Amino acid sequence: MTGDAAKAQEAFQATVRDATLRSARDEPPPDRLWFFRDARWRCLAVTEEGLQAEPGMLEEADVSPVAPMQIEQLEPDQLGVWISAAPEPQRSALALFYLDEFSLQEMLAMLEIKANEFSALISSARRQFQAWLDATTPYHEGDISDGGQI
Amino acid sequence: MLPLRTTKEIFPMAAKSDALAECAPITDKPGTDRAMRSAILQARRGKKAAQFAQQQAFDAAIAKLVYAIPVDAQVAEWFTNESLIPVVRRRWKKILLNPAVLSVALAIAVIAGVFAYRVHQHLNDFPGADKARRLLTVAASSRSILLDPLKTEAGSLSDLFFMKHRLEHYDVPAEFADFKTLGCRVFDDDEVHRVAQIWLAEKRMQFFLFPAEKDPKDGTVKDFTDWRFVELEGWTGAVQQRNGVCFMAVIRGQQKDIAPFLEKKKP
Repeated sequence: MTGDAAKAQEAFQATVRDATLRSARDEPPPDRLWFFRDARWRCLAVTEEGLQAEPGMLEEADVSPVAPMQIEQLEPDQLGVWISAAPEPQRSALALFYLDEFSLQEMLAMLEIKANEFSALISSARRQFQAWLDATTPYHEGDISDGGQI
Repeated sequence: MLPLRTTKEIFPMAAKSDALAECAPITDKPGTDRAMRSAILQARRGKKAAQFAQQQAFDAAIAKLVYAIPVDAQVAEWFTNESLIPVVRRRWKKILLNPAVLSVALAIAVIAGVFAYRVHQHLNDFPGADKARRLLTVAASSRSILLDPLKTEAGSLSDLFFMKHRLEHYDVPAEFADFKTLGCRVFDDDEVHRVAQIWLAEKRMQFFLFPAEKDPKDGTVKDFTDWRFVELEGWTGAVQQRNGVCFMAVIRGQQKDIAPFLEKKKP
């Protein structure tokens, strides 16, 4: 979310502190999504101080049948950096979507965007990531004997 | 927090299926709603099935990599040791204020009230109580002009009923024998049969005399000399049964309104 572990930890701890204070005042967080929503806004506030990614600058490509093999070659940190470099709200949408923990309705409630926007953000991110994969991790059919078979 | 909407509300148009498929969950989840399940099924079986399969494989590979992203040790410790997602306990107040719960509670209260009223109404029932209630409706709808004018003491009407109408033991109890009458009549009722009705000057009170109910088991009539009460739509009757004939004094009001008359002199 922030591209910086220290900033993320700071935002996270602030959220936990706020939750503790609320509980002490007998006003606990109202629902299970509160933590994620609060942490997200804190992350956004932190990242606003630094450089901002600009939307619409990346190339796009159709999702390739060999994409899973390309992704397998990536280091997890590379994906983390790519997601953290995405502009808001695409960054948050990707983070929540690929955590695979929330329903569509929950993600929309946390991000406070409309469903067609969310769908477009994910779809566009897939194509951008594919283009980035093609550029950084090209895959040749001969690399694996059954390459391309999904 | 914004209220969570269903997927059907989110995508109102026909294009929703494609849009839903674009953000289909990576793994099957039990909470996935019907519209999303339908969109996934359509995507798997439609023309874009291969494309959708690629998308799902792509998403699964990314999700796998996301879970491999190293998490700061301190944060990881928090997540393993602390329950960060509070379990929302539904408070009683919130549950009770739910319109559905309120409606059900109200319906139950009404049903219980009607049931309690019916039970209370029949708790002290006696043989002939139904007849007595029926005559309360007659009392409510009667006008004094319907009766033959007759000014005398109520206790003296026994002879009239016997001599003129051959009604034996149609006697007014001693408590009411001195009451002045305005009129009386004898009529046949489909259910109650031969009824004598007396209209009194005092408090628009009415008396009814009618045959007692026989016990359906042995055909006998069980008299009672204590006063028993029936109520219907603001009218109250005090009933006593002697010699196979029921006497009912009727007044517009409650049991407490007629009670003073029942404590008068006894024979």
